[in-house]
Amino acid sequence: MKRKAIAVCLSLMVWPLLGAAPVAEIQAILAKPKVLCGRFDQTKQLAGLKNPLRSSGRFCVVADKGVLWRSLQPFANTVRLTRDEIVQWHGERLAMRLNAKQEPTVRLINTLLFSMLAGDLGQLEKYFDVEGVAGDGAWSVKLKARDAGVAKVIGAIALDGGVYVKNIAIDEAKGDRTRIVFSAIQTGEQAITSEEAALF
Amino acid sequence: MSWRRWVPWFWAVVVAAVSFHAGILWWHDRLVPDTDILALLPAQQRDPARQRALAQMVEAAQQRVIVLIGAADWDDARNAAAVYRKNLAPYGHLLRAADGISDHTESDWLAAFKNHRLTLLTSEDDAALRGQAPSYWLDRALAKLYSPFAGPQPLAWRDDPFGWFNNWVLARAQETPVRPRAGELFVSAGERHYVVLPLTLQVPAFAVAGQQALMPVLEQARQAAQQAAQRVEIIQGGVVLHAAAAAAQAQREMSTIGIGSLTGILLLIWITFRSFKPIALVALSIAVGCLGALSIASLVFERIHLITLVFGASLIGVAQDYGIYFLCKRLGANEQLDSWRLLRHILPALILTLVTTLIGYFSLVLTPFPGLRQMALFSAVGLIFAWFTVVFWFPTLVHASKLKNRAVAERYGRGATRWPRFAKNRRSLGAALAFAGLAGFGGSRLTVQDDIRSLQNSPKPLLDDQLKLGKILDLASPVQFFLLRGADAEALLQREEAVKRRLDLLVQQKQIGGYHAIANWVPSARIQQSRRQLIDKLLLQKDGALAALAAKLGEGQSWVSGARTRLLAAATPLTVEEFFQSPASEPWRHLWLGRVGDQYASIVALRGVNRSNLTLLRQTASGLEGVEWVDQVSEISALLADYRYYMGWVVLLSCVAVFVLLYPRYRQSSWRALAPAALAMLLALALLGIVGQGLQLFHLLALMLLLGIGVDYGIFLQEQGSHDDGTAWLAVTVSAVSTLLSFGLLGFSQTPALRAFGLTMAIGIGAVALIAPCFRRATADAQPPGSLG
Repeated sequence: MKRKAIAVCLSLMVWPLLGAAPVAEIQAILAKPKVLCGRFDQTKQLAGLKNPLRSSGRFCVVADKGVLWRSLQPFANTVRLTRDEIVQWHGERLAMRLNAKQEPTVRLINTLLFSMLAGDLGQLEKYFDVEGVAGDGAWSVKLKARDAGVAKVIGAIALDGGVYVKNIAIDEAKGDRTRIVFSAIQTGEQAITSEEAALF
Repeated sequence: MSWRRWVPWFWAVVVAAVSFHAGILWWHDRLVPDTDILALLPAQQRDPARQRALAQMVEAAQQRVIVLIGAADWDDARNAAAVYRKNLAPYGHLLRAADGISDHTESDWLAAFKNHRLTLLTSEDDAALRGQAPSYWLDRALAKLYSPFAGPQPLAWRDDPFGWFNNWVLARAQETPVRPRAGELFVSAGERHYVVLPLTLQVPAFAVAGQQALMPVLEQARQAAQQAAQRVEIIQGGVVLHAAAAAAQAQREMSTIGIGSLTGILLLIWITFRSFKPIALVALSIAVGCLGALSIASLVFERIHLITLVFGASLIGVAQDYGIYFLCKRLGANEQLDSWRLLRHILPALILTLVTTLIGYFSLVLTPFPGLRQMALFSAVGLIFAWFTVVFWFPTLVHASKLKNRAVAERYGRGATRWPRFAKNRRSLGAALAFAGLAGFGGSRLTVQDDIRSLQNSPKPLLDDQLKLGKILDLASPVQFFLLRGADAEALLQREEAVKRRLDLLVQQKQIGGYHAIANWVPSARIQQSRRQLIDKLLLQKDGALAALAAKLGEGQSWVSGARTRLLAAATPLTVEEFFQSPASEPWRHLWLGRVGDQYASIVALRGVNRSNLTLLRQTASGLEGVEWVDQVSEISALLADYRYYMGWVVLLSCVAVFVLLYPRYRQSSWRALAPAALAMLLALALLGIVGQGLQLFHLLALMLLLGIGVDYGIFLQEQGSHDDGTAWLAVTVSAVSTLLSFGLLGFSQTPALRAFGLTMAIGIGAVALIAPCFRRATADAQPPGSLG
């Protein structure tokens, strides 16, 4: 408890010194592979539920194409985000297809998620106030939506990592919290399986 | 004779009275012409609910200007929008921007549904609720739980475990592609991001003064915004822009066509009379006619319709004939002949010309259309006033010594005798056959065109912008929708739901883009109750999906009962009244007409209406009680068709009536007075057929006028004595040329209705002036009663 208090005090002292996030510096640390795949472990703590919900699976971020998010545990669920569309499959069954024509915010959502996974802070800065630190090949940032209405819904987002994004933490105002940890990251054309490539 | 003294004074008193009355009308601004096209519908067809519906849909659209400011980069678009807004700011009395969206909007928006959200379901979820097994819902809840990108959800998971409300909010948001973004309204299309600026007019859209003030302001704001960033696209749309373009065009034409015809008429009068006094006199008779018509018509009718004024203005063509005839006769008569005695000589012909024209207008009174009746009364009164002005004032105002130059008149007289005459010979037979062939050929090709859209004449860039705007914003049609009625709000909502079920199919088949209905927001009490019961029974009980979900999540029985209580607490019935208290209802309130008479009425508006799905939509309403398809475009077109139909009969019957009136005076020669007008009308119709112009109301209005004028000419020429001095022909020529100059030139107008009117007048008057002399009687048998000795 005491340590936590100290940490809070420290961060309070440090944060004002940060000023504008060293976006350029972080961008320099991050690799920008054309294809990036890996394992994710997601923990959700929802308001009103005792136990956290854990899920894991694989994800791929393909430049100029989009994001593939395949939950494998506890059940198979695949989401594909492309520029103009969100498609979701439960197992093999198509569960949802939403395009930018039906829902204009699709493009915005997809851009943001892609940027978040790829660590494209330049893009994120358009929509968020970015505060953070960088040094020694590691970095961490906090994002706060510039639009107050959006901020209310999304809450606070924190990212950290090195060459790639390692952790994402989303704290929603409603009390739901999500933590995602990335590991076993591979890059290059061989990182994506043929099965995954077929889904794009 | 004393009556010669007091008659002009008596008429002066009458004219003073109507002038005074018309002045009051003018200055007290009661003279706001009725522009509502529905006012022209027969009274029994005017249904109050329908009128309210159209007023709410159309008038709301009428006072709106929507501006889209787009750029490839959102910040560029925002900057340009800020510049645009700043430029408009000083003109709040003309145009007001809608209030910006605050940070609270979204939560306020949701707050209204907080206690009702459980029964707010999309049609798909409703169908799933009624058709799917509980295991389906378990899967859905789990998928939602683990999904990483559920997007921003309006509620915490436990308040919406099955995602119904989330889907419903999404569906409601999708009723428009416009979204709030950083304090602006935002829409995207293609590669561009647009800021949407909804503006509300503070001046009436059809008031010319307001338009003139507004247009430069909008243009200046547009240019300023254009320069604020690179490659900014600005799309402006609104009824006022079209109205202003039409008014500007009318003004341009008034100054070109108007000046052209005025110079022409002045020149004509000068050549004929070597004096401008005649034109002042003719103008005087017309002015008195117009004042009288305005005054009497406004006493009889509550409001005068714009179309009455427009058609009434065309009176000039007939009203001038009386004055011109008098003046030409004066010019031709012996100087010793006193003007009052001259009048006595020509009075029979003058009476006949008036009566034959009036008969046509009186037959218009018999039609069931208030618009035509109003036009008829206006025209008849105007003609009577102009006529009396000629008869009561001209003899005193025009002395024999005033008009002396007879050189032109004499030349005319000589010319008249050389003009071909219709008789029983080969040449005439050939001409008759050629004419019959032409009329038959043209007549067989004649089509009708009543589509109101063919009368539209907005400039192309404006139409393109409007089209683009409609497409980007996916706006509902303001003139095509379903009108629903029910005994009370609940019955009405149930009927909306019946329509919704049919429309959902059309949306699925991509026939229409979507629809707006209050029932989208407030389900009927019946549906709300059945959903609540079904949800509780299938999902929230001990063996339901909620319990199965709890088992999966490792939660106990207390969690299930707690969740059930929470969910059911959010299922209190939502009413229309409650919905209307929420800011979320603001864009949709116009759909609910509420109580009209002893019923409730509402509108279901449609997105993506086009020519190809109109029939389908009309059929959609069939068989549903209390649901009516309203298509204002085809209704106005149908109204124009009805007017055209009745007008056609009136023209035909008028011909017969004119013949009957002419008969007592001209006996066997009566046809000679009528034939020129009849033939000219046939020729005009034939030529319209040949050039492929569909016949419409405005052609027939012109034909009606043509009949009045043509018969006048016929009468003038029949009155011509054996001592042919050519004055009758002079009167005909002067009148015809000035009519051609005033109305024929309208054929050059860019406004389709005026062009149709002008073209018919040009063909008809030209023809009648050329044909009429052919039917003069041979000098040998010419001895009409009362002719000048």
